[in-house]
Amino acid sequence: MQLLQKFKRGNKKSQPKGHANYAYTTARVRAMKSKILPKETYPRLMNMSIDEITRFIEESEYKQDVDELARQYEGVDLIEHALNKNLAVTFTKLLSISEGDVNFLVGEQLKKYDIWSIKTILRGKYCNASTEEILDAIVAAGRLSYTFLSDLASKATYEEVISELANTEYYPILKNYDGTNLSDIENQLDKMYYAGLFGAIEESKSKDRKLFAEFTRMGIDLKNLITLFRLKRSGITDPEMMDLMIDGGLKLKRKDIEKMITLSLADFVSELEKSPYWDVIADVADPEMVSLIGVESQLKKHRLKSAASFSHVYPISIVPIMDYMLSKKNEVNNLRIIIRGKAANLDDETIKEQLVI
Amino acid sequence: MVTEAVTTMDASGLKAIGAGLAVGLTGIASALAEKDIGSAAIGAMAENESLFGKGLILTVIPETIVIFGLVVALLIK
Repeated sequence: MQLLQKFKRGNKKSQPKGHANYAYTTARVRAMKSKILPKETYPRLMNMSIDEITRFIEESEYKQDVDELARQYEGVDLIEHALNKNLAVTFTKLLSISEGDVNFLVGEQLKKYDIWSIKTILRGKYCNASTEEILDAIVAAGRLSYTFLSDLASKATYEEVISELANTEYYPILKNYDGTNLSDIENQLDKMYYAGLFGAIEESKSKDRKLFAEFTRMGIDLKNLITLFRLKRSGITDPEMMDLMIDGGLKLKRKDIEKMITLSLADFVSELEKSPYWDVIADVADPEMVSLIGVESQLKKHRLKSAASFSHVYPISIVPIMDYMLSKKNEVNNLRIIIRGKAANLDDETIKEQLVI
Repeated sequence: MVTEAVTTMDASGLKAIGAGLAVGLTGIASALAEKDIGSAAIGAMAENESLFGKGLILTVIPETIVIFGLVVALLIK
């Protein structure tokens, strides 16, 4: 079928990226997905003490990472760093096992982590954090290697960091950084990430790529919704906040968001009743809600569910790989929530609310 | 006197061509099918070695195509 699509496509615009090994990568990723913790594990983890959870994690897929970091850290910190390291190793493994087109798309998706790391370093320099503190917060899951990032983190000033990044695609945005407009630069970097993704999607008109586009645009919708909820919750109705919104959503178009941005929380919730996402949040959204945790975890759950169902439509395409990346990220998040929650003596109900299962 | 040269094709030659095509084309077909299945099987095996048996069986399933080709070739002969 891919052969047929290749002929249909004609490959006029896109650069040749070499042979794409979809079959190999998707089969391997599916085998990797089978190792993700089943949802029955979480209630069991909730009944364990910290030591038992640590033991459980040490005996699972994270064993190697825990062993490697055991000399540097201990307790909850050790688990958190092991989880981050495992995430980075898993995602860079996806980059190394994929070829051609798959590699390109996975790389575009993982740019999020490159941008995240650059942001972390710049934030670190902004508040004069030490190199170790910055390195602790970095997850080198993208194309930029850990060695390169630790080099960047060890630079004395932000100017040196930016000049080191002169050969990267982030430079045109970073060069405008003057030490004060960090949040503006961060927004621009995030928008660049989505622009890159859309560029990658538009290259091809094949059906599986359309599905990938739908998947990405749905992610944008949910992100925008979460941002809108947070804005409303803090009582911000300033139309200038449109800057924070990401263009190209699937069901929430720009003009819909422009309309919503000036509403108060109560009006916003009643306006949402007409939107296609109302079914997802109907149980938890109400005009007088105090906490957004319920809404956010419902939206994230919806994203995971739809990714899983998307991945069955075209089994040999980029979508199952994206589905795996989401599930893996979610697993790491859930484990972190449980272990951090237990360490802070939160009650089980609060931790359960935060989990996205 | 004009002589008309009659050229006829040897039936056994045509049969041989037919048999060759039957094996050759089905061989290419099963190769194309096995290419993806094989690489997928290797990918799955890299993560989970116990899938070796299943992977091997699934990889050789398209082999039936070329076996049909071979049978047809033998029938033609």
